[in-house]
Amino acid sequence: MSGITRLTGRGCGSVCLPIVMILVAAALWELSPRVFKISPYYFPPLSDVLAEGWRIRTIVLDGIVRTVTETLLGFSAGALFGIACGVLFALVRPLERAVFPLFVVSQTVPVVAFGAIVIIWFGNTIFAKVVIAFYLTFFPVTVNTHAGILACDPQKVALMRSFGAGPAAIFWRLRLPSALPTIAVALRLGISLGLIGAIVGEWFGDTVGLGVMLIQAMYTEAVVRLWLIILCCGVVGAGLYGAVAFVERRLVWWRSDA
Amino acid sequence: MGTSPATSDDGQELPVIELVNVWKRFGAGSPSEVVAVSGVDLKIRPGEFITLIGPSGCGKSTLFNMIGGLEPCDDDGSILMRGRVQQDGELLGKVAFMPQKDLLFPWRTVVDNAILALEVEGVPVRQARERARAMLPDFGLAGFGDHYPHQLSGGMRQRVALMRTFLFERELILLDEPFGALDALTRAMMQRWLLDVWAEHRRTVLFITHDIDEAIFLGDRVVVMSARPGTIKCSETIDLPRPRDASIVTSPEFMAIKRRLLGAVEEESLKSFEAARADARRVGA
Ligand SMILES: Nc1ncnc2c1ncn2[C@@H]1O[C@H](COP(=O)(O)OP(=O)(O)OP(=O)(O)O)[C@@H](O)[C@H]1O
Ligand SMILES: [Mg+2]
Repeated sequence: MSGITRLTGRGCGSVCLPIVMILVAAALWELSPRVFKISPYYFPPLSDVLAEGWRIRTIVLDGIVRTVTETLLGFSAGALFGIACGVLFALVRPLERAVFPLFVVSQTVPVVAFGAIVIIWFGNTIFAKVVIAFYLTFFPVTVNTHAGILACDPQKVALMRSFGAGPAAIFWRLRLPSALPTIAVALRLGISLGLIGAIVGEWFGDTVGLGVMLIQAMYTEAVVRLWLIILCCGVVGAGLYGAVAFVERRLVWWRSDA
Repeated sequence: MGTSPATSDDGQELPVIELVNVWKRFGAGSPSEVVAVSGVDLKIRPGEFITLIGPSGCGKSTLFNMIGGLEPCDDDGSILMRGRVQQDGELLGKVAFMPQKDLLFPWRTVVDNAILALEVEGVPVRQARERARAMLPDFGLAGFGDHYPHQLSGGMRQRVALMRTFLFERELILLDEPFGALDALTRAMMQRWLLDVWAEHRRTVLFITHDIDEAIFLGDRVVVMSARPGTIKCSETIDLPRPRDASIVTSPEFMAIKRRLLGAVEEESLKSFEAARADARRVGA
């Protein structure tokens, strides 16, 4: 721990080390197919992949915009719905006992089976993908919101009551803020799941999006393009995760127990 | 002991709080019934500083929770405020209650923690903050208004909690071992400081402690609680002159009071210790 902090803490700080690691990984990707004479069919060098990306940059950009839009819509809806459900379940115990098992069952249905139904219901629209992203996002957010609100220190609740606070004041000033660190963890998980949901949703048929391009590249055995899309998915996923983590660090910087 | 029935007819000011035959039995009727508090009678007069001392687990915090309205007392007793009987929950919001732990909210700054009770009361935030800022120097927190709890020392956190309690302007302040977690040096400083603050913002105080020196140094009256089931064993009026300074603890008057109280306190501590050992033996057998 202290060794790592010392390494990263000195000089350029926590930004430098990841950048160095990314450059090392890029160099390995570029050099290993050449050094070990791996056929480009199995593992094309990075420069080929980037060249392909530059050649079809407008399609790639359209795909990224589309998939990110679906992810963000599904994630936002899932986060709001999850927080609302978690709060309701924590405050109304009978509701939790009645509805929560349904939530659990819903999550045991494989997303692929669910995806087919969603496409039948909503057709080949952006809405169908948003629904699948939503479906993967809301559950962890619900669970963590519920747990976070219930974990609130009963002595702090007693303190608020001694000030004459009613249930509403206790919720807004104590229960919700003290659950935020736990909710934030679920949101970081949720954004990654949302991206998966959007990509998988596109497999069921569409014309634009990273998932569509992935399937098409697979069927046409366009290996370089396949790697290009994988790279794009990774970059988009890291970017979305980083954005959520950044916002979280700004808004929810305290630890959940203190 | 001054536990004669309360009357307002004799022209005396009504007690701020009066406990009449207060009991608390947890799990009443079940085999695991715990009698935490039994038959407590206590009258607290306006402006008095009462210290309550007793062995660990004798029911002090339970008594506080009842006075703060957090838990009802059993039906055979009652709690009166200014001569009026208080029903279940009626005392909530009427007593400034400081629990054993500081319970600061980590997402709030010092000032915002201090105004928590004012916010609940509906005081506009800006006005409440102004009042809190004006009190910061008094509480040794000048310049720390915008700090967060994790940036403070234990003593400072405790002073923030005290400030929060004082800003909730109620006649009676309940302090549950506010200095229990502090080191001896900080503790001695905080005691003197508390007396200064008390002299300035005159309130009625009921103060729980484990420490007999602390009880005598701070109190107008020391009330000794017995081992569980907790009841009032004796009480002693402390007529040491105020303002008191640190050297008073070595004065012969102080020593004499301490000697008298020590006997009672130690007897009870021993009893609660023996009871705990007997419990352990019974569980072990
Ligand atoms: N909710 C409860 N249910 C059952 N028993 C309880 C409950 N609360 C307290 N007790 C019991 O009542 C007794 C008195 O507890 P209390 O916390 O009032 O002691 P205390 O005098 O404040 O102790 P300390 O000095 O260690 O803080 C203890 O034996 C405790 O186990
Ligand atoms: Mg206690």
